[in-house]
Amino acid sequence: MADLNEGRLDLPRSPARFIAFGVSAVLLFTLLGGRLFQLQILQGDLYARRAAAAHTAEIPIPAPRGLIFDRTGRPVAVNVPSWAVKARPADVTKAGVSTVIGRLASLIGANAKVLEQRFDAFHGSPYDLVPLTKVSRQAALLVGERSQELPGIVVEVDPQREYLDEKGNLDGSLLAHAIGYTGPISETELANLASQGYLPDDPIGRDGVESSFEQELRGTYGAQLVQRDALGRAVKVLDTVREPTPGKNLMLTIDAATQRMAVDALTWGMKASGVQEGVTMVMNPQTGEILAMASLPAYDNNKFAAGISATDYQAYLTRPGKPLRNHAISDTYPPGSTFKLVTGLGALESGVTTPTRLWPTYGCYQIPNAPRGQCLFDWNHTGFGPLNLTQAFAISSDTFFYQMAVKQGVDRLGDAAAQLGFGKQSGVPLPGEAAGIVASTEWARRNGRPNLYTGELAQAGIGQNVIAVTPLQLLNAYSTLANGGKLMRPMIVRGETSDSGKLVKAYLPEILGTLKASAADQRVIRIAAREVVTSGHAYNIRDLNLPGALSGKTGTAEFGAKTRNNTLPFHSWFVAYLPSKPGATDAKLAVVTFTYAAVVPGNVSLEVVKYFLQKYFKLDQDLRLDPHNFALVRNAN
Amino acid sequence: MGAISSTFSQNVRAHKWRVFDWQLLLYVVLLVGFGVAMGYSASLGAGGSSASGMSQTVKTVIWTGIGLTIFFVAASVDYHWLTTFTVPIYVAVLGLLAITTVIGTSLFGAQMSVTVAGLDFQFSEVCKVLMVVVLASFLTGRREKVGRLSTIVGAGVLMAIPTFMVYRQPDLGTALVFVAILVGMLFMSGASIGWMAVMAGGVVAVAPLAVQSLAIYQRQRLFCFLDPSVDPQHTCYQLIQSLNAVGSGGWFGEGLTAGGLNRSGLLPVQSTDFIFSVVAEELGFIGGLIVLALFGLLVWRVLVIGWGARDALGTMVSVGLASMILFQLLVNVGMVVGIMPVTGIPLPFVTYGGSSMISLLFGMGILESVRMHSRKPTF
Repeated sequence: MADLNEGRLDLPRSPARFIAFGVSAVLLFTLLGGRLFQLQILQGDLYARRAAAAHTAEIPIPAPRGLIFDRTGRPVAVNVPSWAVKARPADVTKAGVSTVIGRLASLIGANAKVLEQRFDAFHGSPYDLVPLTKVSRQAALLVGERSQELPGIVVEVDPQREYLDEKGNLDGSLLAHAIGYTGPISETELANLASQGYLPDDPIGRDGVESSFEQELRGTYGAQLVQRDALGRAVKVLDTVREPTPGKNLMLTIDAATQRMAVDALTWGMKASGVQEGVTMVMNPQTGEILAMASLPAYDNNKFAAGISATDYQAYLTRPGKPLRNHAISDTYPPGSTFKLVTGLGALESGVTTPTRLWPTYGCYQIPNAPRGQCLFDWNHTGFGPLNLTQAFAISSDTFFYQMAVKQGVDRLGDAAAQLGFGKQSGVPLPGEAAGIVASTEWARRNGRPNLYTGELAQAGIGQNVIAVTPLQLLNAYSTLANGGKLMRPMIVRGETSDSGKLVKAYLPEILGTLKASAADQRVIRIAAREVVTSGHAYNIRDLNLPGALSGKTGTAEFGAKTRNNTLPFHSWFVAYLPSKPGATDAKLAVVTFTYAAVVPGNVSLEVVKYFLQKYFKLDQDLRLDPHNFALVRNAN
Repeated sequence: MGAISSTFSQNVRAHKWRVFDWQLLLYVVLLVGFGVAMGYSASLGAGGSSASGMSQTVKTVIWTGIGLTIFFVAASVDYHWLTTFTVPIYVAVLGLLAITTVIGTSLFGAQMSVTVAGLDFQFSEVCKVLMVVVLASFLTGRREKVGRLSTIVGAGVLMAIPTFMVYRQPDLGTALVFVAILVGMLFMSGASIGWMAVMAGGVVAVAPLAVQSLAIYQRQRLFCFLDPSVDPQHTCYQLIQSLNAVGSGGWFGEGLTAGGLNRSGLLPVQSTDFIFSVVAEELGFIGGLIVLALFGLLVWRVLVIGWGARDALGTMVSVGLASMILFQLLVNVGMVVGIMPVTGIPLPFVTYGGSSMISLLFGMGILESVRMHSRKPTF
């Protein structure tokens, strides 16, 4: 090529630079093509897998929580829909958090600050849903209608528990302590349980069977494959990866109708005597099944299931009688004379006495090795003359059992107590069970002394001072006596059921231990317990037309500080079981009632048990006595 | 006025259409067609119905029609005529960019376009082509002084002002295209390579400062390609999804409109800057190579025209446009395949966008003019 510029003065055209430019272009195309080859051909599989993962996600499908039935198949805990307002941070943030939440709060009548706090407290993917509050169905519909003004706010239907009574009414208080309730999982719990598939705000059992059978009731969450859009939101369900396994339905050992009778009887007794705190429990001694467990005052677990308000919660915390505590298993009380079962059985087992040997009783029992005049009174302050074990149990002589306790010593007494289940948890599958206290050398050492004082040992023999038991422990101990010496693990759940409440898998009773005392010795105590009802302290309960030989023991136990009359306040107990005939081991019903600070002349616990038995056996008798004046209630009215 | 009109009529009378470069037009049309097809497919993925996909396709066709008209008008005018207006054109560039800064609407957080009669128009796209003309005019005017430092400084200053205005919009990508045009044209003008190297050294030295001045989101996006896992949920999300889409294309792709990630709407801005990831996912390695090959052929034709130009002005315009296309290709496709930072640079002809389409076709029209006014048809 000649002069391309035709002699005009122009920029020189450099072939070298053209070539350099072209080579750069070729390099550029090689680079891009090579990279494409690397991504698409060499690493194609890797990216194809990632691509599949990128536009799909596995999200959990919650499993429906297992239902709870009473022992006759009545539903007592069911699932109902509830409406929850939730926020997706990615969308809410775009529109302004305070604006959106402020609008929402005024729409549903909630506190905007509280909602915003909940929103701010969330730390997770901005595409997750943050639960803000539960709302009524009407409010949920309202939020749905105004969704245009509330970007990022969604209403979801979550299942919620409803607790029913024996008639199917929404009354959680009947079985609150036995069933408990569910509430949203806390952040600390979630930290521990996330690996087990718990999700933020998942319901988790609190208190009662809801808590102790959480694993069974919860079931196993499933998973579904969803398609996600560019913002990571789930837009379409593609496939179910795993079906959720619904939680197991449970059948309580409790009969809701029996529970109602126990609650009614106890409510009457507490009202009649001005008592604030009481327990009535019913058990089948043969199996350890708890047929009723009334701890009053009770709380309404439906309030918790719906999300309890701070005011309601505060009221429960401050109310006398501590409604949130299950007094049947979580609190320990001195058992008083009912503990003479332990002292008597220990004395027989260790050979301290025989069934027929007579022992003197005293107005005041001189404590051995103590200065003269340091003595412990019998309850009547005069003594009863010489008594054998049966007579002493029936009449409940204190000085007799002081001697039995001191003679057998702390270790044997402790062993007898342990055989009957005292001093350790009964093992009932419920949360919050107390172990109680049984006097022992070890206990004394823990309190900085080489051993128990003899006086303490004597008092332990009548269930005072260094003995504390739960009502369940006491009932279980008398059930052990009643069934011929087998200490059962108390049962609260009978088994698993179908969705309609039919028992499909029965849980088996479990024997935790057997009494060492001979069958004959045990029978001596059972006869003595029958004597309590027929000739002893139990007033007119013997006149009930019961289908068996009611046997039991009363107890009063002093506690606390002296009153103005220079006497101590006392609790009252009555525990009984119903064998077919005196001394038999076939009892299928045992009842205990405990009333706290039942400072009335009569034994209100006895009256409660009496009233319960009248109801339970549908007797046309009403032998209740007014605990203030021993007048028949019927006549009093 | 008389001079101008006489030049115009002369050219029309010149009947040089027999040397019109049909290949250039062919490659351009094929790329635009590719863009229309992929844009349609991508619009389906964004959750849009086929109707909205069609409406976008129709818009593209309309823009292309306007663009082709401008193409033929530009082709029929002697490109020397444009140099008459070098100064007004430069003033117009600055004015357009200033207008955008003042009244522009915001797109993805950046003020880049002006809405005229309901149509968004990005003036910076037009300014790229106009600046090619301005620089070509400036450099050819340097003649024997082209090897001096003042050439580089002068061209640099001319380019620096619009570049800075675009950068402040903020549109880092387009600003970089301006720089690429400057470098490519300076190099081809015969400017001193030694002084250019010194200048390049200076730019490298101040680059960290420029990065510092970027908004955080820009900085994060910029560095995603080094390690997309630093922030997989947000900033680098596009890049990760883009890599997944490209990689899963394989040899032949998943089929037009059948790309898994595209159809599930997982490529957040696939209808604009990430269109090549849809090409790669749906048409595979072969489809990607076809697009690259079309660009290769196109750039070849542009350089051939530049080489055969009657004078340096034509050569300069050609290499300026070639630099622009190559740089945008490198940065856009490089971004999609994860070897370049994520900056918002459209893929020439393929990415949907009226202003880009019109500007590019205008540029190609000037090239045809160069071709038709070359002294001697070559090749």
